[in-house]
Order: sequence, then C-alpha cells, then structure tokens
Amino acid sequence: MNLEHFESRVLPVKNKLFRFAFRMLGSSEEAKDVVQEALIKVWNGREQMAGIENMEAWCMRITKNLSLDRLRSMQRKQTDSLEGVDVKQEALSPHDRTEIQENMQRIDELMANLPDKQRQVMHLRDIEGHSYNEIGEILEIDLSQVKVYLFRARNAVRERLIKLNAYGL
Amino acid sequence: MLMDSKQLDELLQKYWNAETSLEEEQLLKEFFAREPVPEALRETASLFRYFERQKNVSMNDAHFDRELRKKIRPNQTPNGTIRLFPFGSLGVAQLARIAAGLFVVVAATFFIHQEVKKAYPDEPEDTYTDPKVAFEETKKALMMISNSFNKAQKEASKINVFNEAQDKIKKGQDEKKTNI
Repeated sequence: MNLEHFESRVLPVKNKLFRFAFRMLGSSEEAKDVVQEALIKVWNGREQMAGIENMEAWCMRITKNLSLDRLRSMQRKQTDSLEGVDVKQEALSPHDRTEIQENMQRIDELMANLPDKQRQVMHLRDIEGHSYNEIGEILEIDLSQVKVYLFRARNAVRERLIKLNAYGL
Repeated sequence: MLMDSKQLDELLQKYWNAETSLEEEQLLKEFFAREPVPEALRETASLFRYFERQKNVSMNDAHFDRELRKKIRPNQTPNGTIRLFPFGSLGVAQLARIAAGLFVVVAATFFIHQEVKKAYPDEPEDTYTDPKVAFEETKKALMMISNSFNKAQKEASKINVFNEAQDKIKKGQDEKKTNI
C-alpha cells in the first residue's frame, strides 16, 4: 500500500473510527489520539495487510483494541459531552431544537450506560450500519453473540426511554 | 416506501428482536426521518433520529490530517524506523542476493580480462626514435646472431666426427659378433 492508496482508502474512515472510539472512551481527545494511533498502526503494518479484504472492518478492529488498551490505562470512563464535535444541525425552531437536543442527550446517556459489548454492537449496527458478520469480525465474537448483544441493547434502551418519557425517571 | 401501520409494527418487532436486515433498518430510518410520526412511536422516532445524527458526528479537527501525515512517511518501515536506503520492499536477504550476483559479474569480468591479456600480450614499445639508428642497431644484432650461428656450426661439425667414430666402432663390433 502506498501513501496515495492510504489517503484514498484508509484516511476517509477516520470519522467512523473516531465515533467508535468516542463511544468506547467517552472523551473526544482520547478518541482522536486513538484514531491517530490506529491509522499509524495501519500504515506501519501495510506490508502485512495485502490480503485483507475489508480494510474498514480491519481499521475498526484496531481502533477497538487500542480503545480497550486506553480504557485499561485510564481505569475509569469519562463521559464528555459532544462539545467540540461537529454535529450537523437541521433547520429547526429553537424550541424543537432544544427538545431534540435533550432527547439526544438522554439517549446518549442511555447508550453510555449499556454494558460495553452491548454498546459497541449497537453502535456498529445502528449508527455505522455494519453487517452482523462485520460486527463479529470487528469485535472478535461469533454471529449468535452479536445478535444476543444487539437484542439486549436495543430492548434496554427502548425500555428506559419509554420509562423516561412516561414517568420522567 | 410507504408503510401501513401493520407493516410498520411487524418491521419494528423484527427490529427489537435483532432480526432485521440492513435494508429493512434503512426503511425504518427513512420512515422516522419524516414528520409527523404517530404519538405512540415518539420514543422510537427519537432513537432513530439519534442514530442518524450520530452518523454525522465528525472529529472537527482541521489539523488532524496534517499531523498524521507528519507522523507517517513513505520510507517508514513496519516497525516505525526510517530507512536510510529506500529500496522499496526489498529485504536484507534479497539485497544480499543482488550483491552476490554483482560480485560474480565483476569477478568474471576481471578473470576474462586477465586471460585475454595472457593470450594477446602487448607489443613491445619502440626503443629508438630514429629509423637509421634503429636499422644500424638491428644490423649489429643480426650480425652478432650470424657470428654465433657460424661458431655453433663449427662446434657442431666436431660432434659429427665423434658420431662418425662411434658408428665405425659399432660396425666393427657387429662384424665380430657375426664371425663368432
């Protein structure tokens, strides 16, 4: 893989890697560092990557492993707000925008409180749109586990969301 | 694609059971992106909108690519060190093979040159610049060789006398033997 190939095939997935690292670490600065480290690792290991078919899934897997290493060294999870992170705002009234922002914040917290594997599987499926097989490849788990984690994660978020909206709990 | 409430319910049930395909999930995302959604599905709609918004989250760091490019260089080896001699992907073993090949070619050229030199020695350089002097010197040398030949011939004639005497003695002995 040459530099041109790296810039056209690998570098464009940086935001996807960032979102995944951010989901795992809860800190945008830590997530950026992890993405940089992951991309350097991909570049340095380019000679061994000739046979890799799904480069994106491979990059996600490296990002996951580096995020786990960092989590271990951090010893605690932080929950940053998305401040400093670019979220495209739709053309909405201030009231709607506030309500949506609050809802988004709630779901963000609900997802952050999920067990690690459930959170990772739900992110990879519902936000990044990966297939079940790709998720298994990235997280190094089998297909049935992917579906079990996804089932649990979706239902946990749904139940808590219903409770929050119904009783404000 | 427009869905009736029954189709929507079925699809959502599949979704909560983690049984939907990516295409079916895309249909749900498109459905919930539109306004208005039924009141009963408000929570579900906000969840799908959350997913769509999250998809657009980016790093928002203009310096990221530049910083990364500084840290990765085309001549960087897999272990992160810089190659002083960038020979692409050639390893030490391959370089050693190339060096050995070059050595064989150089050695063969040297020995062939030596053999050619032996087979065709260089002509001696001229010792005289004036042709007349050279002629005189050549004449002297030839005269000397001629004198030596004449001397040698005289000496050789003496050897002939010995040979003739030897033959006569041999002849006499043979005659005696036949008489006996």
